[in-house]
This record gives sequence, structure tokens and C-alpha cells, in this order.
Amino acid sequence: MTVRDLVRIALFAAIIAALGLLPRIDIPIAAGVPITAQTLGVMLAGVMLGARLGALAVLLFLFVVALGAPLLAGGRGGLGVLFGPTAGYLIGWIAGAYVCGLLMRALRGLPLFAATLIAAIGGGILVVYAFGVPWLAWKANLSLTQAILGGLVFVPGDLIKAVATAFITVATHRSAPSLISGRA
Amino acid sequence: MITTYLARRTWLHGVPAGVKLFALAALSFMLLPVQDWRILATAAMLAALVFAALGREARQRLALIRPLLPVLAIIAAFQVMTGDWRDAVGAVARLTLMVMLAELVTMTTTMAAMMEALAPVLRPLRHLGLDPRALTLAVALVIRFVPVLLEAWQRRAEAWRARSGRRPALRLVAPFVAEALRLADHVAEALTARGFAASARPQEHPMRKIP
Amino acid sequence: MSNARRAMVQSSFQPSSGHPPDDTIRFDAVSLARGGRSLFAGLNLTLDEHRIGLIGANGSGKSSLLRLINGLLLPDAGKVRIGGRDTVRDRDELPGRIGFVFQNPDHQIIFPTVGEEVAFGLTLRGLTKGEAAEQARALLAAHGCAGWEDRAVQELSEGQKQLVCILAVIAPQPGALLLDECFASLDLRARADLMARLMALPQRLIMASHDLDLLASFDRVIWLDGGRVCGDGAPAEIIAAYRAAMTNGGGAP
Repeated sequence: MTVRDLVRIALFAAIIAALGLLPRIDIPIAAGVPITAQTLGVMLAGVMLGARLGALAVLLFLFVVALGAPLLAGGRGGLGVLFGPTAGYLIGWIAGAYVCGLLMRALRGLPLFAATLIAAIGGGILVVYAFGVPWLAWKANLSLTQAILGGLVFVPGDLIKAVATAFITVATHRSAPSLISGRA
Repeated sequence: MITTYLARRTWLHGVPAGVKLFALAALSFMLLPVQDWRILATAAMLAALVFAALGREARQRLALIRPLLPVLAIIAAFQVMTGDWRDAVGAVARLTLMVMLAELVTMTTTMAAMMEALAPVLRPLRHLGLDPRALTLAVALVIRFVPVLLEAWQRRAEAWRARSGRRPALRLVAPFVAEALRLADHVAEALTARGFAASARPQEHPMRKIP
Repeated sequence: MSNARRAMVQSSFQPSSGHPPDDTIRFDAVSLARGGRSLFAGLNLTLDEHRIGLIGANGSGKSSLLRLINGLLLPDAGKVRIGGRDTVRDRDELPGRIGFVFQNPDHQIIFPTVGEEVAFGLTLRGLTKGEAAEQARALLAAHGCAGWEDRAVQELSEGQKQLVCILAVIAPQPGALLLDECFASLDLRARADLMARLMALPQRLIMASHDLDLLASFDRVIWLDGGRVCGDGAPAEIIAAYRAAMTNGGGAP
């Protein structure tokens, strides 16, 4: 790993934090429904930095949060977040960013928008829920079905973020192709 | 600086970070097999009392648990639907208890002390290719650059508002991310100029080996 | 860090008051292309004055020249030497001998608190955390910033941030400081204050600047244009010629 990689990981971890702390952003297609942009940062990490660096950026972000920095959306931080019922989703972010990166590489043949959308849904939603839902079931003594039902609430918002990830990636690629790993 | 750390010292500040972390890990392990709602509820009450005993500022930090409330409510509702109220109380008490205990540690331990206490745990990671020195630097970079990025966003949002009269939109995220990544390149250059690469050359850098 | 490694780092780090006689900077037929465009072609230059200014339009090569001196850029052909050391062969030693201050402090400051930032360069040179923190404290106090250790970088003014950058860079006592437009975003008062502090340093200064007045008391000013040395000598003469050329709509001679 080069110094540049190390700094990119750290800066992307800071981006994930910043996206969670920003005053709510309007998303036109959601008709003004405000959502936090933090998972957007997770999807972008995998898409833009690639699997390995993207996952490390998320891991670093969570490490800093666990150390006590209130950087999770809504200003939460500290070891408590690792013991909460939704900690599985946070763990899932690491794997999710990794899979986003893998999918981007695997789908190099597709148009950028389609590839990013699939990567963001696959890594940023399916993988994240694959960690988050069983964790919730375990921690809260729920059945898997109940946990899935509970998780469904967040799916529409996450789908919007996957689409947003694709738009943002295409826009970034247009202005600075070298910023998106594997698509230079 | 951004932190959930409690500035006013309490007795819990004096307990070494390593001891607190170990106690937290031990407690979470011991509580795993406990199913009795009465024990869990009592323990949660005790943890709340410790919070209260740490002073007004600490009690205000209990508000940090508020974002959890909707989730806890849904969990309780599911539990009552399928089992009975005892399961609901047990599950909710267990979760709040653990979150409160962890919060107590975070509130009374500086991030530097936390890093220090974790050092022995992180040292074996060296064999997996993770350099603790690079990790310390990376953590510092994150804390340093979150406010820098927030300021950069604010500038962009202002320029956007001045020209469009609308609230900041997702359109702004792409240039924001691009700017941050360019910032990363500048920072990497400055870091190299100060000799970080020289004392951890890429070819012998331990972090290289991460799969 | 292993003891052997630490000893090695320390031996390559020589504190210097004034600059040792062998640290003349020599450009020997240096060529450099960036982004497919040739910037320097066979540049020869010997720098051993105590205060050297670099002037020239944007893109004239000032920043690249500075980056060649501390090995951030390596020549495509020719050699850059500091004393007997080659920037390619002895690249790893350069950060200990030559400090670099960038235009934007936010690109340079790595740590959230002033104390950590100033101590960082010292730990890289092999000092323990405690030693580095102690030296950082002493350095801050010596420059009228006693008690700044725990201040958050984010709360400092631009001028204070740039001061922290300079102190962090001189902490390991390099022999020379390279300054790349480091006053561009500062107000007049901060500029004057920092300039006075810089002029009092024992280190050799090589400073690229658009603010020509700052360079008036320097020993030598070099005017670059398109990677060529277009004027070189006493500040009064070179700055006057540069000013005339730039404001009369004419280009470089």
C-alpha cells in the first residue's frame, strides 16, 4: 500500500462521515423525502476506490466511530453502536463496500451507469442486509422473518441511494475518469 | 474537537482504559446466556443509575440512545406479538444495557487512551499486514478532515444556493467527492515531503500485504 | 520501530544551526517533462545563498523546481544534488534535511491537534512519542505559542495554521526550507508576521512567491519563465525587470 492509498482510505472514511453529518440533502426523485447519505458513502467507497481500499475505508470509518467520534448519521458514536441491534448493518457495510468493488470490476463490460447500479444494489443493499438482518434477529431474539420485515422499511431509501450512486459515479467519471478505479 | 468524550472528570475517567474495555467485553460475554428478564432489567436499571451518578452532563448523554428508540419499539412489538411481554422486556433491557455500558466507557475515555489500550490487541494484526503506525495516522487523518470536508461542502452549498435559490441537491455530491479525492492527493504529497514514505517505504510497507 | 532502524533514522538526521557547508543545491543538466509537456530542458543551477526567491508566472516551473529539490519530483535526465547527495539515490534522507511548506495549510496539516502535528516529524525521525511531545512543546513555547499543544487545528486562523505548518516542518531541524506560495491565502498582517519569523530562522529559505515585496531583502532572486532562468541576481534588479516585463504587456526577454 502506498502513502496515496493510505490517504485515500482516510479521506474516503471522512467522506462517509461528512455525508452522514450533512444537513439533509434533497433528492428530487424521492419528491423531497429526506434521507441520510451515509450509506451512499459506503456504496461510493466500493465503487470509486475498488474492493480492497473501499472496504478498508469503511473499516477505518467504523473504527474511528468505535473509538468515540460521533460520526454516524445523527451524531452517534462510541462503542455503544457496536452493541446496538443494528450493528450488523454496520459490519455489513465493510463487506458491502468490498462486494461493490468486486462487482464493478466484474462488470467492466457493461455501461458505467448499469454496472454501478448493479454493484450498488448487490454490494450496498443485498450484502449489507445479509449481515444486518440475521444480526438483528440474533440480538433482538426475533425470528428471521420478523427481522426481514423490520428491514424492509429501509429498502426504498437504499434503492434511491443505489440510483444516486450510479448518477454520481457517471458524473464523476465524466469530469475525472481517473478517480474511479478500474474505469480510467 | 468532535468527540462524545465527557470533558468534566468523573471517577470513571480515572479507571484505566484497558480495564474498562476488558470489563465491557467480559460483561457482554457473561450476559449472553442470561435469559431472565428480571436480571436483565435490573442490570439495565443499575447501568442507568451509574449514568445518573456521573452528573448532569452524563445524564444528558443518555439522549444518545434516543435514535435507538424506534428500533427498540419495533422489536418490542414483534416480541409481544409472538411471545409475551417478558420476552419483550428482556430483549429491550439487554440491548439498552449493553449500549449504555459501552457508552459509559466511551464517555470517560479519550480516543488517544482508547488507541493506546487497543495497541496490544492490534499488535498481532501486524502479522496480517496491518501497520499500527499507519492506523494511528489514518485515524488522525479522518478526525482532521471531517471538519475540512464539511466546510468544503458548506462552500459548495452556498454557491449553489446563491445561484439556484434552492436547497443543496445530490448534484453537489459528485464534485464534492472529486474534490475530496484531489485533496487526498495533495495530502499524500505533503506527507511524502515530510518523510512518511521514507520511513515506511512502499516496498517494505507492512500494510502492503493486506489481501 | 526496531532499534537498528531507529538508530539508522537518527544517524541520517543531523540537527543544524545555520547550514553545513556541504549543502549546496546543484541542478546538473536537469530535464523534466510533466503531462507530456517538457518543463525543464538541461537546466543548470547552483543554489547556495541563504535566502533565495523564485518568481515567475503560473506554470513557469517554480513549484516543479522546488519539488525537484526535495525529491517529490525526480528528474527525467540530469541530476539534482544537495551537498553530495543525489535526490534519486538518497531520496529517503531528503525529508529530514529539507522541509517543504505548501500553499494550503489544509493540505499539509495531518493531525487534529497542534501538538500532534508538530511532534509528527520528530517521531518519523525516530524519537519516542514522549520525547517528540516534549520537543514539540518546547518549540511551540520558543516561538511564542506556549500552550498550543492541545488546540484544535480547526479553530486556528489561516495565519496560525500556516505558522503551525512551518513549526511542524522545522521541528526536525532541516537545513533548508522550501516554501511554495505559502502566503497566498493570508492577510497582510499574517504575511508580515510570518515573514519576520521566517527571516529569523537559521535555515536556508527557497521561496516561490507572487508577492514580490516579500523578496526584497533576499540574497538572490531567480525569475523563471517556461522552465528557463530568465533573470538571476540581486532582488532589486531582477524584480524591477520582472515587473516591467509583466506590466508593459511584454513577455520575458
